[in-house]
Amino acid sequence: MELKEEQTQNGSAPGAEVPPLRQIVVESETVPIRVGDYAGPPDPEYGREPWQLNAGLDSDPIWVEERMRTEALSIAYGGKVAVSAVDLEVNSGEVLALIGPSGCGKTTLLRSLNRLVELTPAARRTGRIILDNQDVDTFDVTRLRSRVGMLFQQPNPFPMSIFDNVAYGLRERGSKKPRRKQLEPIVVDALERAGLWDEVSSNLNHPALALSGGQQQRLCIARSLAVSPEVLLLDEPCSALDPISTGIIEETIVELRNEVAIVIVTHNLQQAARIADRVAFMYLGDMVEYGPAGQVFGAPREARTQEYVGGGFG
Amino acid sequence: MEAASLNNVEVQAPDLDIDRTDRRVELLLGALASTILLLIAGMILFVLIKALPSFTHNGLAWFGAGGSVDDQLMDIFNSPADPADYVYHLRAWPLLYATVLITGVAVVISVVFSVLSAIFIVEFAPDRLRRIIEPVVKLLAAVPSVIYGLIGILVVVPFVAHHLISEDRKESVAYVIQLDGTSILVGIFILTVMICPIMIAIIVDALRSVPDKWVEGAAALGVNRWRAMRTVSLRAIRPAIVAALVLATARALGEAIMLSMVAGSVGFAPNPMDGFTFFLEPARPLASTIVDNAEGLSVVPFGQTMYAFAAILLISSAFLSFAGWAARKSFSRYTLGAR
Repeated sequence: MELKEEQTQNGSAPGAEVPPLRQIVVESETVPIRVGDYAGPPDPEYGREPWQLNAGLDSDPIWVEERMRTEALSIAYGGKVAVSAVDLEVNSGEVLALIGPSGCGKTTLLRSLNRLVELTPAARRTGRIILDNQDVDTFDVTRLRSRVGMLFQQPNPFPMSIFDNVAYGLRERGSKKPRRKQLEPIVVDALERAGLWDEVSSNLNHPALALSGGQQQRLCIARSLAVSPEVLLLDEPCSALDPISTGIIEETIVELRNEVAIVIVTHNLQQAARIADRVAFMYLGDMVEYGPAGQVFGAPREARTQEYVGGGFG
Repeated sequence: MEAASLNNVEVQAPDLDIDRTDRRVELLLGALASTILLLIAGMILFVLIKALPSFTHNGLAWFGAGGSVDDQLMDIFNSPADPADYVYHLRAWPLLYATVLITGVAVVISVVFSVLSAIFIVEFAPDRLRRIIEPVVKLLAAVPSVIYGLIGILVVVPFVAHHLISEDRKESVAYVIQLDGTSILVGIFILTVMICPIMIAIIVDALRSVPDKWVEGAAALGVNRWRAMRTVSLRAIRPAIVAALVLATARALGEAIMLSMVAGSVGFAPNPMDGFTFFLEPARPLASTIVDNAEGLSVVPFGQTMYAFAAILLISSAFLSFAGWAARKSFSRYTLGAR
C-alpha cells in the first residue's frame, strides 16, 4: 500500500529521472568503515537548546561507530524512482530519524536496508548496502534480516502465545529447534529490554493478540531483539498508538540505542526531535539533508528542510 | 450485560415501535431456528427408535465380525412374516471397516494434498495459472457424485482390471473374493478426487485471509517464504483446516452412490495381509449398503437393520461435528480478534 503510494507520487514528480539500473554486482566483500565519529558534546555552532529533550543530551556522550552505510542506493518500482542515489550512514549508539513528506521514499529506503523491499516484485535496486564493512549482497538475505531487525507501522504479533512470539525468530533460525528451557532466558531478557516484562511476566502463555496495541508493538520490539540484531529499523512504529503508548515506546527506543543502532521513519517531527540523535530529511527520493538532530531542526542548511521543519514547528 | 442493563432503562415513546419490530423479527427467527432444531432432534430420535431392535438382538456383537454379512442381510430380508420369528442376526464389522477404511484413507490423502495445493495456488502459482485453477476447483467442488461414479466405473475400474489385476493375483485370492476392478483402491481414489476441491477451496480462502503483515513480520525476522508459510500462515488457519476436514469427512462418510458403483458393493472386509492385493479387493461402506438395499425396506426387520446403519452414520457425523468444534475452539485460541 505504502509502496504503491510512493510509486505514483514519484512517477508524476517532474524532474525525477530514472537512473541506469544495473544488476547488483558485488565489487569487493569488505569495505572499510569510518570509525570514530563523535556524537557529542553538542556542536556549539548550531546549539541544541531548543531540543533539550534530545536523547543525546541527557546521557553521557557516546563514541559512535558506523554500523551500516548505503552508497548511491537507488530503488525504482518499474520505471518510477522512489529513492535516488542515497548515501546514508547508520551509526551504532545513535537514533537516526528519516523524515520527509509522504511519498518521499523514506519507507522504501528503510525497507531496502534489510532488503525487504525485494518482496515487492517490481522493485529494483542499484548501489551498495554495507553492514559492518561487508556488502550485504554477499551474504544470505535471511542472515541479513536477523542482523537488521524491523518493526512495522501496525503492530504485527503472530497468532501465538507471548512466549512463542518472542521465541519465534530463535526457533526458526536453525534446523534443530531449541527447547523452551534454553529459550527462556533469552525471551525474558528481550521482554525486559523492550520494557514489557513487568506487564506480561505472569502470563507468557496468553495469546499475544489479546495485548493492547502499545503492548503488541513492544512485543514486536522484543521479538526483534531476541535474535540480537545490530540494527533496528522502525517504520512509523507509533502511528497506530495513543500518546501514552507512544511515550513508552519512545523511552524504550532511547534506552535501546546504546545496544542497537536505530533507524526510525516518522511523520511526527516532534517525535524525531524528542528521540533522534541524527536526522535525515528526504524529499522526492533525494536525501536533502543529513546531520545531527540539533542542526537539522535548529539550523537547517537547505531551504527545503527549512520549509518542512519550519512548517512542522510553526 | 450491557444489553440487559439497556433493557431496564425506560424508553421514549418513538423507540417503543422500533423495539416492537425488533422483538417481532426476533420471535420469527427464533421460531424458525427452533423448528429446524426440533426437526433434527425428531429425526435422530425416530432413527434411533427404529434402529433399536437390530441393536438389542445382537448386542455389542453387532459391531463384531462373523460370517458373511451379505448372507446375514439376505436372511434378514427373507424373515418369516410373523413378528415373533423376525431374524435380526447381524455382524456388521465388514461394513463398518469399509466405511472407516475408505473414508479415513481418502480424507488423510486429501488433507495433505489440499493443503499443499492451496499453498501453491496462493503463494507460488503464476497469476495466469491461478486464474484458471481457482474457478475449476470451485466447479469441481459442485459436481454431483454420481458423475464421478460414472467416470469411475467407465474409465478407472476397467483400467485397474486390465493393468493392475493379473491372473495370478486373481487366483491368489480366488477362494475368498473375486477381483474385477471394482475395489477400495478405486473407491479411495475417486473419493479423494471428490473431496479435494471442497477442501482446497476452503483452505485457499483461509490462506488469503491471513494478514500480509504476519508474513512480512516473519520475513523481517529472517525466515524464508516456505518456513513463514508453515509456521505462521498454516498455524493461523488451523481452524479453517479443521472446518474443511469436517466438511470433507462428512461428505465422504455419506457418499453412497459413487462408492456403491466403484468399490465393488460386496460386504467383504479386505485383508491387509494380502499386500498390494488388499487395495484391489472390494468392500461396501454403510451408506452404500443402505442405497443398495433400498428396495427391501418394506420388510420390517430388514428396514430396522438399515435404520441401524443410518443411526451409526448419524452418530458418527454428530461426533465428528463435535470433535471439529472442539478442535477449532482450541486452535483459534490465539487467532481470536486477529482479523
